[in-house]
Order: sequence, then C-alpha cells, then structure tokens
Amino acid sequence: MTIKPEQLRFCESHEWAYVQGDVATVGISAFAVAELTDLVFMAMPKVGQKVVAGQEFGEVESVKAVSPMYSPVTGEVVEVNDPLANQLETLNSDPYDAGWIMKVKMSDPSELEKLLTWEAYQKQCGQS
Amino acid sequence: MNTASQKIRAIVRWDPPQSGEINMRIDNEMLADLTPNSPLVLRMYRWSRPTLSLGHFQNELEIPSQESWSAAPRVRRKTGGGAILHDLEWTYSLVIPGRPELGLKGHSEPIYRSTHQAVVEGLREMGWDAKLSEQCTCATLSRGKEASEEPFLCFMRRSPVDVLVGGDKILGSAQRRSASGLLQHGSFLLSASASTPQLPGLLNLPRNSRDAEGLESAGEVLGADTNGVRAAGSLVADTMVDLAMQFWGQWLADRLMAGVDQVVACDWDNA
Repeated sequence: MTIKPEQLRFCESHEWAYVQGDVATVGISAFAVAELTDLVFMAMPKVGQKVVAGQEFGEVESVKAVSPMYSPVTGEVVEVNDPLANQLETLNSDPYDAGWIMKVKMSDPSELEKLLTWEAYQKQCGQS
Repeated sequence: MNTASQKIRAIVRWDPPQSGEINMRIDNEMLADLTPNSPLVLRMYRWSRPTLSLGHFQNELEIPSQESWSAAPRVRRKTGGGAILHDLEWTYSLVIPGRPELGLKGHSEPIYRSTHQAVVEGLREMGWDAKLSEQCTCATLSRGKEASEEPFLCFMRRSPVDVLVGGDKILGSAQRRSASGLLQHGSFLLSASASTPQLPGLLNLPRNSRDAEGLESAGEVLGADTNGVRAAGSLVADTMVDLAMQFWGQWLADRLMAGVDQVVACDWDNA
C-alpha cells in the first residue's frame, strides 16, 4: 500500500485519516513528527477502545515533553499498529503508510467533511 | 525575542510545602483549567516530605529497589522525563495558555530554553560555572537506544537544555502540552538529599572565587550547605534553612520570570 498525502484528510492538531469504506486509518503528519523531534515513547490505543473525534486517543513523548494525540473520527478501534511503539523511527521515514497508528470503524463518516484537505493542511502549517 | 504588543496577565503563586498528591493535583488542575483567557501562572512550591515523582511514562517496576530513594512516597507527574527525588530543592510549575497561531508546540521550546538560560546567566553572575548541557543521553528509539537503558533519575540524565554547574545538573525541567496550553515543571537542586548523595545541589558546588568577588550578598550569607545547617538541629539552624530556602525560591522565581519575559510579554503579579 502506498498512500500519498493528497489522499488523506487532516486535523488541525496534525493527525491524518485515510478512509477505505467505513474504516479510517489514522496517523500523525510528517510535520508533527518533525516538530515533536526525538520521539521516545508512544502510548498506543487498544483494540476495542472507543474514540471520539477531537478527543485524545493516545500520547506521544518526545525528549522531555508529553503531547496528546487526537482522533480525527468517532468510532471503535479495530486494529492497532503495535510494532510501531518499538519502531518510532518509522514515523520519520514513512509517516503516511508504515507509520499508521490505528484503524477505526467509523460511526459517523460525515465527520470527515470537517477535516482539512492536504492543500488546506499545508497552508495551516505554512508550507505552501 | 518578545514582539507581542499586549501584555498577558501573569501570576507568581507561592504555595506552602505539601504532600506529593496535593502538589501533583494542583499542577494537573492548573493545566486542565487553562482557557485562552487564563493568566500565565508560575507556581513555586516545596514538598512536606521527600517524595519521588515519576515521569509520565516511567514504569514503577523499573525502580531500582536497592536504592535508598526507592522507598520514598511516590507520585506520577503529567510531564515526561525521569524520576526526581524532591527534597532539598525548589519545584516550579509554569502554565501558559495556548495560542493557535503558534502551532503545534506553541511557546514550548523557546520557554524551555529561555527559562533555563536565564538561570544560567544568574548563576554565572554569582560566580558559579553554569551552562546549558547541550548534550543528550536521551533514549530516542531512532538512535537505537531503549528507554530502559537510561538512568531512572532525571538528574542522572542529560538533555540539551539542562542547567549544569561544572558537570553536575542542578536544574531539569519537562513539559506537557495540551490542546489548551503548556505545563512546564522543573526542579532546582539546592543541596544533595541524604537519599541521593551522589547528586549535589547548587550549594554543594564551588564558585569561582574571582568571579564572586564583591558578592557578599544575601546569597553569599545564606548560601550555606543546608544539610550542614540542618544537622545543627537548633531553632537558629532551622531559621537559617528557612531563610536560605526563601532567598533561593525568590531568586529562582525572578530568573524564571525573566526567562518567560523573553518569550511572552507578561504583566506580573505576586499572589
């Protein structure tokens, strides 16, 4: 699977969602990974966990700072990329594919309309 | 540098020594209660008994049981980093409301560096060989190092912005970011704890006598080793320790405020 950022939708808080049917794959953007720098730990969500759009689903620790991660969609976690927690360097090398964090079975796909396109997200990050 | 045209309201809050549970609850509430209109708050505090605070993700099972500090009461911080034995030190917490235009990290990195740099400059003026560490023992997985390989105690680790005197770390801080703002928590070691004698505090470390000439100030007089003074066990000794603590608490708060002012224009008020 090769995902291009143009295929994704983004939160203002820098998480992304890739939608296939009623399942959204979720991760954090390359911009966020670069900004956080030197990641040392990620508290992953659990399969079966209920997540809510705009609310925390996990945490990531960079050197000395703990930051929350916010879900772009509401639903139930159906799969987690557990190996990622021990291979955080993947977030640097492949944030939009191998660096995915969780897959969520969405309960309200209309929430996707509130997310940013790649173009709008780049503008938010001052990268376009 | 500070370019804001309007000053943000800022409060220095002084709390009495309290238990670890209460201290952490107050810090957590300060962060949770932040709104865009909240004041910036610098909270200065101590602990009613020596207490071990664990970094947010540290595993209690990895506490080295043979160490004397392992038996201290424990609390868990919201911030990252290693464990701290809070004893002969000042602790501070700084909460700053978020500003969306500042992006993901907000003020976090400039505040972290500028507060520590202000402490370094103050210590150097008083004759201590202070500097930022500018080195890292961090267990970043991208460097192929496991977190468990790092020393458990914060003051045995090094991150680039830690404040060192000579080679010893005397100020370390860590942060937690939230959607509503930032919490920075730090510990300023004044004297080695009996439970961690290998970690000297500021007052255990020598000053450069030439640089310190003419500095017969309150800091000079009150800069006695608090362990030694405490050992005297008299009312006078307790009073001297209290005075020394007050002096260094006010000194640290002033330096931190100066560092914050470098990043955020503040209108300070003492509460």
